[in-house]
Amino acid sequence: MREAAALARIYLRMLLGYVRAVLEYRTDALILVLASVLTQLAGIVFLTTVFAQVPALGDWQRWEVIWIFAMVVLAEGIGSLCFEGTWHLALYINLGGLDYLMVRPYPVALQVMGSTLGPNGFSNAVLGLALLGVAATRVDVDWGPVTVGWAVLLMLSGVLVKLAISLASNTTAFWLRSPSSSPAGTVHTLGDLARYPITVYSTGVRAVLVVIPLAFVGYFPAASLFGKGTAGTIGAFTPLVAAACIAGAWAYFRAGMRRYDSVGN
Amino acid sequence: MIEARGLTKVFRRADKPPGLAASVRHLVRPRYAEHTAVAGIDLSIGAGEAVAYVGPNGAGKSTTVKMLTGIVHPTAGEIRVCGLDPHRNRHANARNIGVLFGQRTQLWWDLPVRDSLALLRDIYRIPERRYRARLDELEPVLGLAGLLPVLARKLSLGQRMRADLAAALLHDPRVVYLDEPTIGLDVTARDAMRGFLRDLRRTGTTLMITTHDLGDIEEVCDRIVILDAGRIIYDGPVTAIKDRLARDRAVHFTLADACPGVDLSTDLPGSRTVAGEDERRVSVVFDRFVHGAGDVLAAMARHARVVDLSIDEPSIDDVVRRVYAGAIGDALPDRVR
Repeated sequence: MREAAALARIYLRMLLGYVRAVLEYRTDALILVLASVLTQLAGIVFLTTVFAQVPALGDWQRWEVIWIFAMVVLAEGIGSLCFEGTWHLALYINLGGLDYLMVRPYPVALQVMGSTLGPNGFSNAVLGLALLGVAATRVDVDWGPVTVGWAVLLMLSGVLVKLAISLASNTTAFWLRSPSSSPAGTVHTLGDLARYPITVYSTGVRAVLVVIPLAFVGYFPAASLFGKGTAGTIGAFTPLVAAACIAGAWAYFRAGMRRYDSVGN
Repeated sequence: MIEARGLTKVFRRADKPPGLAASVRHLVRPRYAEHTAVAGIDLSIGAGEAVAYVGPNGAGKSTTVKMLTGIVHPTAGEIRVCGLDPHRNRHANARNIGVLFGQRTQLWWDLPVRDSLALLRDIYRIPERRYRARLDELEPVLGLAGLLPVLARKLSLGQRMRADLAAALLHDPRVVYLDEPTIGLDVTARDAMRGFLRDLRRTGTTLMITTHDLGDIEEVCDRIVILDAGRIIYDGPVTAIKDRLARDRAVHFTLADACPGVDLSTDLPGSRTVAGEDERRVSVVFDRFVHGAGDVLAAMARHARVVDLSIDEPSIDDVVRRVYAGAIGDALPDRVR
């Protein structure tokens, strides 16, 4: 536990280092802030549209659907804000950029993940949280310490599942050796499908969303919170699924490092 | 400190002929070419040794260092650095070693040097007091004070190398690997770097230096390991190989009068007399274990009036050149593996 806290503290310092680096370029920083505000505004416009359009889907009420949507947006926001470096892994591998990272006493995966920060993740995270806040008052859940705690645990688990999927899909770069992380991009795009109850899709799409466990980012945990039959029962295992996903992605990354050949001079 | 047994690295490269059709064919039935970068190296380096690791481009120097540091996983063989397997015990190993790749920096490009060092302090979990003390130790030799507030991308190459060296040595490592530490440096910066490396040795740090720069070898190292095509072809003291292979010394004379056709080969058996750029200049090349410079001067004085002279000492440069040319097999049968 103390070790985890130490790792987290160092991670935060690395992220802050990136923030300081961005601030070195004053105009760039200003543009980033401006872009972030614009993204927020666009997000609000988008969401009001979504509010108006979202119907009840099967046995899912409108606000329950929005809850799923918000959890996925929150997971993407946090992923982008705190773990954006994951998307640079292919670049690191192909430029031999892992060399120095591998001779430091800190996990290489975390050094890569914390090497940069996606400022627009901030707007997504805020929007996701705000939306969850509103939805919380509209859904039929008897909020108490236990349900709130469970909801927070489910949310964190969803974030971890999303993170593990990003890490694992980007880790394929160790084998593919192409400078772009196309499989990771494909998986990320699939993530958009996971913003809605997977019951709306055909069996094939559903299977994909369960195998690449994107459905555990929003759908299953929400199902557990709202007590949706079988899906709810499966959803109760979300924290375990999250732990397994993180462990799996971590092991996959370690296997990838054994294949790392660096580059010649 | 460093022990390697049968260290081997085989890279597998896609063997893909040019052209789209060939690329498609490669997708269906991929073919690979195997390339052995390091072919069964045995190496044992003791505490406090300074070893030069040299060889032509592509000989496997960098690959060896990357395996010893735990960056690249060996195809076969065993490595122990301070008793640890560097790839398996990456974190523990990282605390024992310092690494400098001269061609790339580990500093955060857009941060002042001070911030990069502070991040490394956090990563290595160096207590604040020890960190300050270490910076104070490095200050006089690396001249850090002027560099600390500067953004890494604004440093000159020499400054960057000093800052990178500070970064590599911050945690006071017992073993330091330096890959081309003087590459691209000007004469002053190069001398300063070599002086620093000598001091570092004196503190008992084990050094392994890959370099193309022969000055680095002569001034810093006492042992030289020469690599060719992934194999060690020489491993021994720098002076020994110099004595055996770098025997030619040259005296360049400037004579008072033109003296065409002067030849000292009868006076000094085995020597060669070479005409210089004009008729008053002439050079004599001789084996320094057979003749002394005094003999050469005396012999020349019998033929002509000497106005001026200069002496070229044999350098490790000649050695390495001759090694690459294949001379070592004959010259050092006892050292060949």
